[in-house]
Amino acid sequence: MDAKQIAIGSSTRLPAVEKTPFYHIEKPVTENRGDHFLRAFAAVLEFTDYKALLDSYCTSSAKCNRCAVSCPVFMVSGDPRDIPCYRTNILLDIYKRYFTIGGAIKARLSNGFELTEEVIDDMLEVFYRCTACRRCTQSCPMGVDHGLVTRLGRYILSLIGIVPKALQVSVREQLEGETHNTSKVPKDALLDTLGFLSEELEDMVGVKMEFPVDKSNRDYVFFCAVSDYLMEPDTLMGNAAVLYAAGDWDKWTIGTTNYDGINYGLFYSDWHLENIVKQLLAEVTRLRGKNILIGECGHASRSAHDFVPVFGGPSAQPVVSFIEYTLRCLKEGRIKLDPNIITERVTYHDPCNIARSGWIVDQPREILKSFVPDYVEMTPKGQDNYCCGGGGGLVSIDEIHDYRMRIGGKVKAEQLEKTKADIVVAPCANCKKQLKELVEYYKLPCRVMGLHDLILRAIEIPGGKSPAERKEEAALLEM
Amino acid sequence: MATFELGGVKIEVDEDGFMEDPGVWTEDIAKALATTEGVDELSEDHWKLVHYLRDYYMKFGIAPMIRKLCKETGFPLKKVYELFPSGPAKGACKVAGLAKPTGCV
Repeated sequence: MDAKQIAIGSSTRLPAVEKTPFYHIEKPVTENRGDHFLRAFAAVLEFTDYKALLDSYCTSSAKCNRCAVSCPVFMVSGDPRDIPCYRTNILLDIYKRYFTIGGAIKARLSNGFELTEEVIDDMLEVFYRCTACRRCTQSCPMGVDHGLVTRLGRYILSLIGIVPKALQVSVREQLEGETHNTSKVPKDALLDTLGFLSEELEDMVGVKMEFPVDKSNRDYVFFCAVSDYLMEPDTLMGNAAVLYAAGDWDKWTIGTTNYDGINYGLFYSDWHLENIVKQLLAEVTRLRGKNILIGECGHASRSAHDFVPVFGGPSAQPVVSFIEYTLRCLKEGRIKLDPNIITERVTYHDPCNIARSGWIVDQPREILKSFVPDYVEMTPKGQDNYCCGGGGGLVSIDEIHDYRMRIGGKVKAEQLEKTKADIVVAPCANCKKQLKELVEYYKLPCRVMGLHDLILRAIEIPGGKSPAERKEEAALLEM
Repeated sequence: MATFELGGVKIEVDEDGFMEDPGVWTEDIAKALATTEGVDELSEDHWKLVHYLRDYYMKFGIAPMIRKLCKETGFPLKKVYELFPSGPAKGACKVAGLAKPTGCV
């Protein structure tokens, strides 16, 4: 597909719904969904603090629609139902009508809003067309956090069994399954994979690094998105290379009871969010680890960074993103990155979950600019970035692949193409998967890599082959 | 859950056509499932890949890391996509009778 075809703003709008059902649901509720929804809503209001928030949003939401221009989904679909304010106001309308006296009276007097089966259908779709990137939240002049309201809507829907099956089965395995991780990777498979990575690293850099497993009292307990153990060898070897080169090889460990940083609770359920965080904390406590080191994953980083202090209390271990760790090593002169290795043009994609809050924006750029001579930015970037189109758990839902390509990720695809970059660095398991699919779908001439994949190519390993030697060997292998 | 029937093969599959019970896999089932992936004839290379996946799965309960699959079979990733156009995780694993991958895969 050429650039013209993916250009935004064309007058031809895409159809709103591609498939019915929009996503698979394990055991769909078929009768009285409205009643079920209201009961679940009432329970959430009783046991949480959302009531005060909704009261405030009911007063402040001006329906000015300024959020519309910030939403990469609406930009492409042109469907009014994709305007963040529209989505938020579905839930606010239900709240006002059924949980405030004024709303109830108004409805009696003037045939006001009613929660019908159509409204449920609308919610189950629009709440999952949103990629939870929260770009709209930043642009709302009234301070309405549309991302949070969407999440609340998803939470209530999940309580009546309406949740994408892909997310539900993953969370169930993580909390109740034998493996305790979202991709069902058993301990033996983890150990086999670590052995394989160790051999690969030895071939590549000429140094044997045995991955530390179940070591107690280490500075760092490492959690990546568990899918990295299936899909992202270079990211993991890059992580390992930094730890080794920095002299921290005996200061970290991977636990074998729980090694998954993924937390889909962040996308749809407070209940699961808390339990998954607590499970992660239990592993760190078991190993008497001092810090929680999160691999390359946006939502895994955010769910740990923001919620370990919430659910773990003041004595909980600090959460460190691997990007922060690597930058610190670089600044302290503990690792060296050869600036003559990466000759391709590189750009950086900000994962929403670490960039939107401003937490991790400059750090990866500082690392990249230190060893990538041809570095270019996308526009917009950083806190104002566009989502890859697979955020909020959407990337895990295969059946909406077409939606993610044609609508959710189209703005990102165009942005990518404009950079003319050979490599797009995306330090996030979600973003990587979505971007790889976008590159394939739009036939973009670039490769998707993790930040540490690139670092792996340029890092100097004490006692090992130089980056230049490794580059030569890799080129020979590709011939 | 749905039933997938082709020739003499009759199995329970999920919405995406993955086997509900990977334990009952046979080569005939592989041949039948391959047709749903646009592969009408399983060549020697297909079987090599399928059997490697199957053996690994029986031993470890999960598919191997993709890099390992490529290394052990000697097939570069491009070749894997040639054999199974929908890729290793979706196409090859389905034919080898593995359960649908979950999580961020």
